[in-house]
Formats: sequence, C-alpha cells, structure tokens
Amino acid sequence: MLLFILLTHLAIGVAILGSGDRLGRRAFAVAALAPALTVGWAITQASGVIGSSSGGSGMSDGVPVSFSWMWVEQLGLQLDLRLDGFGLVMVSLVSGIGLMVCIYAMGYFSYPKPGTARLAGLMTLFAGAMLGVVLSDHLLALFVFWELTSITSYLLIGNDDRNPRARAAALQAILITGAGGLVMLVGLIIIGQSAGTYLISELLLNPPTDGVIAAGVICVLVGAFTKSAQAPFGSWLPGAMVAPTPISAYLHSATMVKAGVYLVARLAPILATTGQWRVLVLSVGAVTMVIGGLRAMRQYDLKLLLAYGTISQLGFLMLMFGTGEYKIAQAAVVLILAHGAFKAALFMVVGIVDHEVGTRDIRELHGFGSSWRPTVVVGILAAASMAGLPPLLGFVGKEKALDTYITYGDFTGSGVVLGVIVVGSMLTFAYSARFVLGLLGHFGVADKPNRSAEAHAPSAMFLGPAAVLTVLTVLLGLAPRLVDPLVAAATTALDPTASPSTVKLWAGFNAALGLSVLVIGVGLLLVWKRAPVARLQRRFSDAISWIPSAERGFLVALRSVTDGSKRLTAVVQSGSLPIYLLIIISVVAIAPLIPALSAWSDLPPLVDVPLHVPLAALVIAASLGASIVKRRISAALMLGAVGYAMAGFFIVQGAPDLALTQLVIETLATVLFVLVLRFLPTRWADRSPAVARPIRLTVSVAAAVSVFVLALVAAGSRDSVSEANISVEMIARSAPEAKGNNIVNVILVDFRGLDTLGEITVLVVSGVGAVALARAGRRRLMLGSDAADEVADYEWSEHEPVPSAAPVAGEMDQ
Amino acid sequence: MPPFVGPEVAWFALSPLLVLSGGGLLLLVVGALTGRWPRGLYAAVTATVAGTAAVLAAIQWSRIADDGPSTLVAGALSYDAFAQFLTITILISVILVVLLTDEDLHESDADGPEVYGLYLMAATGGIIMAAANDLIVLFLGLEALSLALYVLAASARQRSDSQESGLKYFVLGGFSSAFFLYGIALIYGGTGSTNIGRIVASLQSSVTTGGDNALVLAGIALLLVGLGFKVAAVPFHVWTPDVYQGAPTPVTAFMASVGKAAAFAAIVRVLVVALPFYREDWRPAIWLLAVLSLVVGSALAVVQTNVKRMLAYSSISHAGFLLVAIEAAGHRAGEADPGSGVVALVIYLLAYSVLVIGTFAVVTVVGRNASGDVTLDAFKGLSTRRPALALALTVFLFAQAGVPFTSGFVAKFGVIQAAVEERSYAIAIIAMVAAVIAAFLYLRIMVSVWLSGESSDVDGEPDQTLRIPIGAGLAIAAAAAFTLVVGVMPGWLISTAEAVTTYAR
Repeated sequence: MLLFILLTHLAIGVAILGSGDRLGRRAFAVAALAPALTVGWAITQASGVIGSSSGGSGMSDGVPVSFSWMWVEQLGLQLDLRLDGFGLVMVSLVSGIGLMVCIYAMGYFSYPKPGTARLAGLMTLFAGAMLGVVLSDHLLALFVFWELTSITSYLLIGNDDRNPRARAAALQAILITGAGGLVMLVGLIIIGQSAGTYLISELLLNPPTDGVIAAGVICVLVGAFTKSAQAPFGSWLPGAMVAPTPISAYLHSATMVKAGVYLVARLAPILATTGQWRVLVLSVGAVTMVIGGLRAMRQYDLKLLLAYGTISQLGFLMLMFGTGEYKIAQAAVVLILAHGAFKAALFMVVGIVDHEVGTRDIRELHGFGSSWRPTVVVGILAAASMAGLPPLLGFVGKEKALDTYITYGDFTGSGVVLGVIVVGSMLTFAYSARFVLGLLGHFGVADKPNRSAEAHAPSAMFLGPAAVLTVLTVLLGLAPRLVDPLVAAATTALDPTASPSTVKLWAGFNAALGLSVLVIGVGLLLVWKRAPVARLQRRFSDAISWIPSAERGFLVALRSVTDGSKRLTAVVQSGSLPIYLLIIISVVAIAPLIPALSAWSDLPPLVDVPLHVPLAALVIAASLGASIVKRRISAALMLGAVGYAMAGFFIVQGAPDLALTQLVIETLATVLFVLVLRFLPTRWADRSPAVARPIRLTVSVAAAVSVFVLALVAAGSRDSVSEANISVEMIARSAPEAKGNNIVNVILVDFRGLDTLGEITVLVVSGVGAVALARAGRRRLMLGSDAADEVADYEWSEHEPVPSAAPVAGEMDQ
Repeated sequence: MPPFVGPEVAWFALSPLLVLSGGGLLLLVVGALTGRWPRGLYAAVTATVAGTAAVLAAIQWSRIADDGPSTLVAGALSYDAFAQFLTITILISVILVVLLTDEDLHESDADGPEVYGLYLMAATGGIIMAAANDLIVLFLGLEALSLALYVLAASARQRSDSQESGLKYFVLGGFSSAFFLYGIALIYGGTGSTNIGRIVASLQSSVTTGGDNALVLAGIALLLVGLGFKVAAVPFHVWTPDVYQGAPTPVTAFMASVGKAAAFAAIVRVLVVALPFYREDWRPAIWLLAVLSLVVGSALAVVQTNVKRMLAYSSISHAGFLLVAIEAAGHRAGEADPGSGVVALVIYLLAYSVLVIGTFAVVTVVGRNASGDVTLDAFKGLSTRRPALALALTVFLFAQAGVPFTSGFVAKFGVIQAAVEERSYAIAIIAMVAAVIAAFLYLRIMVSVWLSGESSDVDGEPDQTLRIPIGAGLAIAAAAAFTLVVGVMPGWLISTAEAVTTYAR
C-alpha cells in the first residue's frame, strides 16, 4: 500500500501533465485525489502506528507499517518504505496540507492561465516525492526522493517560464539545493559504508562509531542546511517566492524546506554525539533563527515577511531536533505540526489578499471592509499562533521547547542556545505583530492607492482551507491531549529509548512560563517602539553592507564557473585540428615516457663514426626548421632533407640498398607534396597567437624525446624477454632453406612471401582507386568548374570559439 | 619444412560475422549494379541481414552455454559469451539506427546502398573487435570499424560541417590507430606473440620469474592511447563534440552506440583478458581516464546549447562511467572470481546503446522539422506539439541521467556497485557526483521540452506538421519500451549477462 500511494501520486501527476491545459483549474480537484487518498489511508493506519499508549505513560507500543520489495535481486536493490510515528506526523503535514492547498488553489486560480494545470501535475509529483522522502527507510532511496523534490520544486518555481525572475530564482534554488544534495550523498555513503547498513531503522539500533563518520556528518548536514534554507545557504528561499502562493504555501513553508529538518531529526539520535554535529547544527540554527527574524521585521511584502519568518522558524526547529535529546525533540514535533498549520494558513491569507487586492505590499493596504472580517480573523489567529500566544498550538510548542531546554539541555552551550531561542522568539513576536498590523492597514501610506477598502471578499471555498487549519490550531492548542499520542509515537520513533511526557497547554508556573512572559513583554515593546527599532536596524544594515552577502557570493561563484567553463571550451574545443593534435600528441609523448624511463639504463655509445655528427645535426636542424617555417613548400622540403639525411645514415652503416629505397621514397614524397601544394596557399594562415609557435615547438621536441627514449628502451630491453629472438632464426635459416644470402630479400620474397603479395595487391588496388579519383577530378576541371580554386580558397572553418552564450549567466544578469 | 596447413574453420560458429560481411558486400555490389531501389528497401534488407546475424548469434550463445567457450580459426577469434553478447548489442544498435537512416537519406535525396553497406561493414569490424583473440585481428576489426566511421561521418556530402567532421575524425583517428599498432608491436616484442592466449601464457611464465617488462609497459601505454581515443576518454576526447555535431544524426547515433560498444569490448579484450598480469599498472591509468572523463564530460556539457553537442559531452561522461566498470574489473582481472565489473560494463553498453539511439532518434525527428536546427530552441514546446515524442525523449533523458525505473539506473547502479565492491570508494563517489551534474544537463533539455510553453507564434506553422516517420517512430518506441522494461525488470538481463566473464583465449 505504501508503494501504491507513491505510484498513485506518480500516475495522477503524469496524467495531469499529459492532459495539458484542458483541465484548467479543475486539475487541482484531480490532484486533490492523491493527498485525500493518503490522508484517508493514514487515518486507518494511525491507531496501529501510534499504538495504545496513553500520553505520559512512556513507551508507545505502536508498530510501524513497513513495506519491503526486492526489486533487483542480483544487485541487492531493495525498496524499503516505513511508516512510523514520526513518518505519520510528516505524512499528515505533506498530505493534509497538500489537500488543503489543492482546494485553496481552485479558488486562487479562478482565472487559469496556460500552464496552471501543469502546476497541479507537478505539485502532485512533488507530493509523491516528498512522501518518498519521509517514508524511505533506506538512505539512498531517501536521497533519490530528495533530489526529486528539488527538481519538482525547480519546475514549480520556474513554471512561469517567460518571467526571467522566476527562471533565475528557480535556477538558484536548484543549484543550491542540488549541490547540497550532492554533498549529502557523499556523506550518506560514508555513513552507510562505515555502519554497514543504509537502513535508518538499523542505524538507530547500531550507531556507527568509525572515525571517518565525522566527515560524513558534515557532508550530510550541508545537504540538510541547503534544503532547509539555513544560513548561509538561505538566499534561495526568498527568491522562490516568485512562485504562485499555493506553491509557496505548500513547498516553501510546510513541506519541502522541512526535509532538511526531517533528516536532522532522523539522524540526530544516531549522530548527535558524533564529530561536530552539535556545534554545527546549533550554531547554524542559532544564526539562522536570529537573522531570519531580523530580516522578516524589515519586509514590506507580506509574502517575503513570511518567507524570512519561515527561515527563522526552520532555524528554531534545527536547534531543537539537532540536540538529539528526545525530550527536546518531542517539543519540536509539536512545533513542526504547529508551524505547518499556522504558516500554511498565513500564506493562504496573503494569497487571498494578493488575489483580491492585487498587492501584497503593506504600504498599500489600508484596512478591509466588514465582509473581510473572517479572513482577517483567520490571519490574526494564525499569526498569534506564530507569535506563541496562548491558547494556540504555537504556544504549546514553544512553551514545551523552553521548558525542555531548561530542564534537559545539559550539553555544552545549551544556555547560549536557550538565550538565542528567547531572542528569536521575541523577534518572531515582533514580525508576527508586523504581519497583523500590516493586514489591518497600519502601515498604509496615504499617497498609495487605497485598494483594499472596496476589495471583493473571498469566497467561502477560497478561505475555507485557511480557516480549517486555523480551527485546528485553536482546537489543538486548547486540547493538546488530542495530538499527544501522535507526538509520543513520533518521539519514540525517532529515539526508541525515549519515554515522552505529556503535552500540556498549562504546565503550571515554571521557568518556561516566565520566559514566555518575558518574550511577549519584549515583543510588545519592540512593536510599540517599532519606528526607532526600524531606524536602528537600517543603520546597522548600512554599517555592515560591505560584508558580501551569501547571495552575492552565490552569484559571483556561478558566474565564474560558467565563464571558466566557456573560456576552457574556447581554448581546448576551438574546432581547430592542430590544437586537437597538439593535445593528443603531448599526452602520447608523456604517457609512455613514464614506464620507459623506469626501465632506463645508461646511454649506449652514440657516435660510432665521425660522419654521424653532421648527419645528426642535419636531421635535427631540418626537423626544427620544418616546425618553424611559415611557407608550406619550405616545410615539405625540410621534411625531405630529414629523409635524405636518414639515407646518409643508412649508407654510413653499410646498407646501400636501404638508403636507395629511402632516397626514392623521399623524392617521390617531395614531388607529391609539391604537386598538392600547388593548389594550396603558399603560407599558412597565421591566425594563431604568438605563443602558439613556442608551444608547438615544445610539443614537437617532447614527442621527439619520447620517441628517442622509447626506441632506446625498446631496443635495450629485448634481451630481457624470455621468448626466442626471431631474427636469429631467420639468419640461420636463410642460406640453407631459401638459398639466399641477402637476408632482407629472403624475408621479403620467401619467409614473408604471402605478406608481400598482399601488400602489392593492396598497392595496386589503391593505385587504381587513386587514378580513378584523379581522373574524376580532372574531368570536372575540364568541364570548366573551378573546383581547384575552391579547394585552394577553402579554409577549414573553425567553429565559433565559444559554443554559445550560456543562458545560465544571462538569466542571472537580470 | 612442414607443409602449410590451413586452420580449421568452424563455419557455423562464424555465421553471424559471415552473414554480416557477406550481406554488406552483396548490398554494395548489387546496389551499385542496379538502379535505385524502391523507398525503404535498402533499409529493410540491411535490417534483415542484421536481424539474421543477431538470431545466429543468439544460437551461438546457447551453444556456448552448453559446450563452453573455445577459440576459432587457429586461435584468432574467441568463441565465448562475451563476444556473442557484444555481437547482439551491436546488431540491435544497427537495426535501430537503420530504421532512423531511411528517412534521413530520403530527405536529402541520397537514398542508396552505400551508407547501409558501411553500417554492416562497421558492425562487422566492431564484432571482430569484440571477439578478437589476437591483437592483430583486433586491429583489423578496429580499422574496419574506423574507416567505415570516417566515411559515414562525412556522408552528408552537401554539408561542409559533415565533411569537416569526417576529415578531422580521419586525421586524429589515423594517429590513434598508429599508436595502437605501435603498442601491439611493443607487446609483441615483449611477449613474442600477438595472440592473446599466448601473451597470457608468456606473461605468466615471465611474471613468475619476476621483473617488469618495459616493452610491455610502454606497449600498454600506447594501446591505452589508441583505445582511449576510440572510446573518447578525456584527454583523447577532443574530436568528439565536433564530429558528433557535424556527422549526420543517425551516424552520430551509430558512433555513440556501435563505436562505443566495440571500443569498450576491445578494452576488455586487451586489458582484462590479455594483460591481467599488468593490472596494477594499467588500473591507475584507467582510474585517471575515468575521473577526467566523468568530470570534464559532465562539467563542459552544461554550457552547451546545441543538443547534439551536449549529447557528445554526455557521451564522454558515459565513457567515464564505463571506465569505472573497467577499473572495477581491473581489481580482479584474471582471477577465478572476476568480480562484477565486466558484467556491469556489458549491461551498461547494451542499455546505453539503445537509449542513446533513442535520444538521437528524437533529435533527428525534431532537427528535420526545424531544418537541421538542433539547438535547445528547436525543442521548445515539444510537449504541446508532440506529447508522445516529448514523453519518449523524457524517458531517454531520465535513463541517461540514471533515474530509477529506467535501464540507465540499472546500468549506473551496477557500475557503482561493482566499484564499491572493490572498495574503490573515491571513484564511485566521483562518478555519482558527475552523474548528478550531468543530470542538470538533461534537465535543461527537459525544461525546453516541457516548460517553455508554445514556441513563438511566428514560426508556428511548421510546428503543426511535425511528422514522425514510421521508421524513426518504430525505433523510438522500441528503444523506449526496452529502456522501461529493463528499468523495471532488470533481473533477466543481469542473470544473462553474468555468463560473459568466462573468456576463451
């Protein structure tokens, strides 16, 4: 059934995508089937997974639903899906909010544009991938689904493909999360290999203790940080807000960005005490929580305010899950549920405002008419839950977080973290208040058009989903007992040794309550004095503006990569044959040199006869000359000179017949050269830069040295080979068996007579072919065509040095 | 002097080769002597010849399974499962490419037997490489394949970039062949034979007596250069983008499938079968080639906009993956338990051949419609014009990227697992990272296909007439079906392929 649910998402998603725009906004109704099915199924499974534990009594005896399918036995490929308590929490977030968002989207896309149906299809695919992430028990399967969520998120952000901002934001998102995913993959493999298992459930029982695991931990955390938009990788999330609001509400607040938190939550009980885990998670989470909150307080765009708020809250969740203490994690489970509910509702409210008023800028909102009252109430309640006001679920979660941190945070630095949480909560209160005040029109600037007053109120279906979520927030806040079993089961799923406590709205007068009062008090102060606070913030951010932000760093890195890649291809992939040859020959010159030099003994006597010296000098001079001169004909002649000098060597060594052959061949070759060169320009087109010639010369010399060494080594190491030397036998047999004294002749006509016959035949055939070709060419010449001139003028076209301007860079420029 | 005794020739065992080469020659001769045949007949005949040869190879496969491997023609050719597997891989590729070619030739009014004859000749050469049990025979196969490919690359006679690509390929290929031949000469000098069986025997005796053989080492280096060029491994890859882009698209598909399969078969024959005693020497070189190919292939692909050029770079990165398999095989080459490197390799080759042809088939169809334009722009809005074609392309690109439930995933997973089994973690991780980088490249094509709405309304008219010829449609459908079937149920293929590691020599 677990697999069936994933496949249903796939099927529905593909079906919607395949139907094109035919469905319009009804596509979301179809899309809603998938989460509806999942929610329905999850409810039937809930009692089994949660077990019969009554909250507070400790261990829950829930049994996870697992599914295992041996896919490819030979490769040991197995798909392991597992629905345990924490999985159930995540599934209820993914599919529950998914269902709400689908209903909401039907109201939001009341005037569907081309591509709207595609959003529904992609969203279903995303939901499937996200369910895969939270249901996978196998780390590598988790990675695959993880990357699928990145890809679908990319497509969803960039769905409006004519909007360059959307494209750039989509690209930034996928580059950051994708690269983080890669690093994470490395980490997962290190962990899996050193633990000997990739199953999370088994890792939990036998935590790995290898030394290398510290490196794996860092890699995995980088992946989690990029996905959950933690500092300094958070720059993509505000950009991703160009996506339509239902998408932002779903992916970029409720589900996908929680994947990183989810992974940290899963692995923290296993790895929290390993390596730098706590230091990294807690410091990154702390910085993110504070910076996100500060930036949220400065936004005028309601959606961006929520985006930075999300970043801040994700940091908060990291601070709690990352500790690996189940008591704190239990608070985090409450908070993750609370956040999913109130943040989705807030996004929906913003979407409603945007849809009906046409702006999200709080300076253009001047308060709404009375027909808007339900919407405003929903917004205020959700924001109050975000701010942590009683009696809402957000308060329950935050209260529990503070309480558990005070009671159980006994690791180094827990006091500091607690302080950060308090400060972060004050900021959260402040930006929640800013949201409410903005919604009520307190920031409305007089000279901006007042469009909100007579705006059309949303229909019941449009507001419905947000209202449902808010009712849940209130209900669960008043009666946390309702979620208690689920939270307890989730906590035990994360850490089997846990004995979760009860979640309560009212825990009596304790230190946490005091801190909550403090948070609310300071928060109110921040709201009351908001003008001076804003001035202070502006001054502060001006003062640190010289520090390059993460976003700038990303752009610079991206541009340098694409530029570097282009420059590299422009050089090595210019389409020029000489450069290609240069590359290959230089490799060839170096590669065999390494084994050859290892077998290098000393030089044999180089000069036997004095005549060797001038001949060798001639060869060297002529070959250097051939690689330097600019006229083709001179180069050909120089090559000829090399050949003639070689013939000289043969004569000196006493092989006149060989020398004769060499002379004939050289002469013939030179004549052929001249015949062909008639048709070519006399000089090489000298377009290469001045460095080209020294490089050419160097490679030529390197090749020569390589061949020299190789020849010496090859000739010298023949003795060490155990096989019989064939030439000895040929010498011995030539006179008695072939009746010949000239061994070369005997070899050619007797020992290798058939080879010679074959060679002659090949020569004849190719000669006939050459003649036929030549005649064909001549005929065309006589017909008056100027083919020869064409050949002469033709210069091998060189490809454009730069293959193309990469759209990557172009998009980022905008 | 003993009288000359001709080798014993097992005609039936050679039947796939004989049918292919005979069919190719007949096609050329008869085709040259008769007038133009009716449309599609050349392709049909060629496909029939290749199909017959494939059936015969399958029969040989079962005979080998019963009787065990042996050598043919006085030890010149191996008669083993590896050879037959590669034979079938190559022939499947030939059939698929032939289906594409018909329309392409017809469009440019160049219908004729030559291209098909060259396909069959090249396939013969490739099969000889895969079956060679003698380095000289291997070289013969290499040359038969390469010469045919040079001509094929230049076969679009009216396009200068096709001619240019043919000439470039020829010049650079000539160099690499020369290096390869020199390498054979050095190996011969070091071992006293070019026959693989005797090379192994000679090395076995010399290795036990100790001492490194510089001749063999230098020979291996040169052989690696020659083979590295053929498989387009970095730094011998420079020809690939230009040639892939310039050659007619069906020929590019042919080069990417048959050329690659044959060249990797040759690497297995030379390194794993013939030179297992030097595995500690050649494995680091393969490691380096693999890493360079993976990184350069995927990193440079991302900035391209011409789809054929992109696929050329991606083929370099695929070559890197295949080299990872060779590296894994190198850990236990020559041992009784050879590991799963070569099994992963042949599965990868089969899967990749089919899906790369499928990809190029879609490129052919789209490119023809856009009058030869195969930049990303030509693919914009394909999903609205031809959803089925877009879907098929998506399947192929997913498979190239190695997404689960496609054959590409099975192939990549097998390779990675083979590497991990041999504890080559570094290369396995690099390969995975490269795979994900390359995935962005395929994603870019997919985004063009699916996201970029309707292409601009001005050139909207030709879009309506995007015609999928029967042959190409068949090839695409078959390739997509294969990709998905192997992706979902790869068990049978893997158990079949496990037989290939018993080599005859």
